[in-house]
Formats: sequence, structure tokens, C-alpha cells
Amino acid sequence: MSHSTRRWLLRVVVIAYLGALVGLPVVFLFGKALGHGLSAFVTQVTQPSAVAALKLSAEVALIAVPLNTLVGIGAALLLARRSFVGNRALTTAFDVPVAVSPIIIGIALVLAYSRIGWFGGWLSANGIRILFSPAGIVLATMAVSLPYVLRSVLPVLVEVGREQEQAARTLGAGGLRIFWQVTLPAIRWGVLYGVTLTIARTLGEFGAVLVVSGNISGRTQTLPIYIYDSWDQSYNTLGAFAGALVLATISIVALVILSALRSRERRLHVDFT
Amino acid sequence: MSISLSHLTKRYGPHTVVDDVSVEIASGSLTAVLGPSGSGKSTLLKLIGGLETLDGGRVVIEGDDVTHVDPRHRDIGFCFQHYAPFRHMTVAKNVAFGLKVRKRPKDEIKRKVDDLLELVKLEHKAESYPAQLSGGERQRMALARALAIQPRVLLLDEPFGALDAMVRTELRHWVKELHREIRVTTILVTHDQDEAMEVADQLLIMHKGRIEQTGSPTDLYQRPSTPFVHEFLGPTTVFKGEVVRPHDLALLAPGHGVIDGTVASITDLGFEVQVTVLLSDGSTPWVQLSRNEFDRLRLQVESPVSMRERDRRLETGSALTRATQLRR
Repeated sequence: MSHSTRRWLLRVVVIAYLGALVGLPVVFLFGKALGHGLSAFVTQVTQPSAVAALKLSAEVALIAVPLNTLVGIGAALLLARRSFVGNRALTTAFDVPVAVSPIIIGIALVLAYSRIGWFGGWLSANGIRILFSPAGIVLATMAVSLPYVLRSVLPVLVEVGREQEQAARTLGAGGLRIFWQVTLPAIRWGVLYGVTLTIARTLGEFGAVLVVSGNISGRTQTLPIYIYDSWDQSYNTLGAFAGALVLATISIVALVILSALRSRERRLHVDFT
Repeated sequence: MSISLSHLTKRYGPHTVVDDVSVEIASGSLTAVLGPSGSGKSTLLKLIGGLETLDGGRVVIEGDDVTHVDPRHRDIGFCFQHYAPFRHMTVAKNVAFGLKVRKRPKDEIKRKVDDLLELVKLEHKAESYPAQLSGGERQRMALARALAIQPRVLLLDEPFGALDAMVRTELRHWVKELHREIRVTTILVTHDQDEAMEVADQLLIMHKGRIEQTGSPTDLYQRPSTPFVHEFLGPTTVFKGEVVRPHDLALLAPGHGVIDGTVASITDLGFEVQVTVLLSDGSTPWVQLSRNEFDRLRLQVESPVSMRERDRRLETGSALTRATQLRR
């Protein structure tokens, strides 16, 4: 087999593979969701339970993403700039939520915060409800999307080094100014990358959220759970397709932004050498 | 004295990298801290700048004890080995940074930045980003940025280390000129003895965390107080059991020197010639000859010669011999 034939063959295999796993399903999804006309699609995504699910997902993301971003940047700074005992253990602890199956996270949260858990009794005595409420969903979502910002910021921080910060310090800058004017601009692509991953995971999380949410239509259904419910419980396949299309579109847009960021980051790295 | 260091000590775990260093540095001087890698010279500079915490000792700058003062309030200009430019800021913004921190009026900042960029010959690069500069230009930008805050002391960590040979020589001259012009007390760290001898008016030789010797380049070269300084500051060879400089040995016609031998090898470098001689005592010292001397002697491998120390060694050589003997 000649070199060019082999390359041609390889290309076909890769495309077929991608087509079978990604292309075809997405095309079918679009076809099914929009197959009954645009108005049917609009009717589906504007019905109250769908809107409520979209709204809840957005709210959860609005809380979980900023919090995890702050915690992620803070932890990355701590790990990159201070040496302390347990440094490595802390880094590993951040990875636990994505290393184990989300369903385990869900069950563990139920155990911790239900009546049988350590805090459950105290919480219910004080009228705070975590399980089967939006609070539980936020908690589960934050858990599964915990490490993304840390993981994308930490290597950048290490690579950038401390010298720019030290230079700023000798020039008279205080901690806050150094963070906003020196550190953050230096790691901004890493932060954006981490935030994008966090958003994608936050919106898409299914398993952990399903366990803690109780799946109450219109109240504790996020978009992925609404889709699952429409598909599996309510036999509203069109509603499932429509919801799936909305979610897929958001994710694809996030991916496009992500790859744009990546290429931008790469360009910048080339500039720096 | 502009900078007074007393009993500075810094340990990393079991290693003492700076070991009880005490030294006085004169106002307006240009001092080179010279030592092999791992001698603690960079750490010493960071201790002066406050970028490393001390395990013991005191740092006094122009009469102020700054031992416990944060680097942001020390009024020092620090230039890092890799310049540490703020990559997301233009050259002008880099230079303006310290002035903005000090909340100077806008027109004053602009004027000062323009002046500094002219001083470091980067006027035409004001709106460029560090990534668009050459190594030498980045170094000059870092200098301008450090000078902007009118520091009491300028600290340069291996300022020419990351540059290629041509730019390096050029920048050395330039830094010397600049220092003559602005007279700010400057300490630079280097592992390159040529660089230190050429640029500095004072040398501070470090070895294993300690100061081996301080003095002017000439002093140290001619009167090294330890074998380490002797060997570190220039080429050495062993003649009759003593460490000497190869250019302090002379070759003469057989029988006219202290000891006879034959030429073992000749390395012709053009401007100088290095001749290794096998002496009758079995030792093989080498001699550094000028082109003229070598041509006059008409030496070849196997030529019989005689060797002795040059006359002008009598005064400095005896001091050296004493020092070497004391150490042994």
C-alpha cells in the first residue's frame, strides 16, 4: 500500500468513526427536534416545565460557576505560590469529584445531608432543606464541577512563575493590585478555559443531580433531568428532543469558544518564546 | 555606606546557602557579586531585595534598617535574570507601573516614561509588547522599569546571562555608561569573571555561601587571598609547587632560568600563544606568551627551554605565595 493510499484510508476510518459516534446522532437529534416544524419545537421549549427546567439550570450555573471559579483560582494560587504540608493531598482531593461516578457523589450527598446524615437532623430542625430542593442541586453541581478551574489555572500559574509578581512588589504594588493587574491578566486564558469547562459540566450534569433533586417537575428539574423525564417517564419524545437540542446547542457553542481560546492561547505561547 | 549587610544567613532545609555574610557597599558604587553556580550569590541579592526571608542578620540601606520591611517599601530596583516583563502591557506601561502605584500625576508619568525610554534607547518601542522585543531590548526595558521609581539601590540578577555574545558585550558597556551617568548604587550578580572584572568597580567573590574576598578587580586579580579566588579570577598553572598565573611565567634560553625543560605542546590562539613545558622535575606548567614574544623565541615542540617567574612577580608574587602557603 502506498503512503498516500494509507493516509487516505486512515482519514476515512477517522471520519467514519466520528460520524458514527458524533455526527450521525447529532444530525438525527436536529432532524427529530425540528422535524415537526419550527413552531412545534418552539411550543415544546416554551411549555412551562421546559422553561422552568431551563431557568433552574441557568440559576444553578449562575451560582455554581462563579463560586467554583473563585475557589478554583484561590486554591490554585495557594498551591502554586505557597508550599505547605498536604499540598499534594489537597490537589488530589479536588480531583475526587470528577474521578468517581457522579451517582456516587449524589448518594454521598444524600447520606451527609438527609436525616440519617451528620447534619441532616440539625438542618431540618432549623428548617433548612437541602435534599429535593434547588439547594441540593447547586451543591451536587458544585461538587462535580469543582476541579475544572483549578486544573486549568494551576499549570499556567506554575509556568508563568512568580517573577512578574515579585517585580510588581518591588515596584511598590500591594497584593490586590498585583492580583488584578499582574497575576490575573497572566492567567486569564487559563481562567476562561476553566470557566468554560465548568459551565459545560454544570449545565450537563445529570447523575448526581438526579439523586439529590427528587425530580419534581417544575421545581427541581434541571434541563438534563427534564429531558430524561420527558423521554423516559412522560413519553413526550418531541419534548425530549427539543430540550436536548437546546442543551446540545449550548454545549457546542461552549466548545467552539473553548477551541477558539485554545488556539489563542497557543498563539500567545509561541509569541512568548 | 549605602548598603550594610551584617551576618546574613539563609537556609533551605539542611543547606545553608548564605552563611553569615557581612559586607559594606559604598554609595554610588557598582559591585559585582561573583561566584560559581550554587555559591549563594543570587540568594544574597534576593535577601537584599527582600524577595527571600532571612534566617538571620540585618540589612541596612542608607541608614534604614529594612530587615523587616516588605520589598514594596524598600525602594529598590530589581531586575530579574529573565527580566520578568509584564507580558500583557506595552513597554511604556511596563515602565509606568511603579509610577502609577505611587499615584503620580498623569503628565508627570508620561514625561518620566518618555525620558526613561530615551535613556534606554527604546523610544521607538513604547507601544510594543515585550514579546515583540529582542533579549537586549527586554533587558533595557526592565532596567527602565526599575529605574522609574528612583530606587536607592539597583539590583541586577545575572543581567547579561540570557543574551548572545554580541549583545552581551554591547550591553555591558552600556550598563557601565549608564551607571556613570546616574550613579545609583548597583549590585549585579554574575558567574562570568570577565563580565564582573569589566563592569564593576568592586568585586565580591562568593563561594559556598560565604564571602571569599572583596576588593577592586585589580586588587583581587593581583592579590587573591585564597586559592579559590586565584583560580576563579583567571587562568592558573602550577610552577614549582605554587599556583601562578601563566602570564607571570617567562621562557628563556636553556640554563638562563630557574629550571630547564622542553616544549611539550603549543596552542596558537593568534593574539596569544600557550606553551606547555615539560620541566626536569616532571611537572608540566603552561605559559601564556604574547605573539611578539613567541615569534622572537622561535619555539617548536621539543625545543629546549628554561623557565622562571617574571620579575614583576617579586612584589605581588611573594604576597600570593604567603597566602597560598597559609591556606595549605
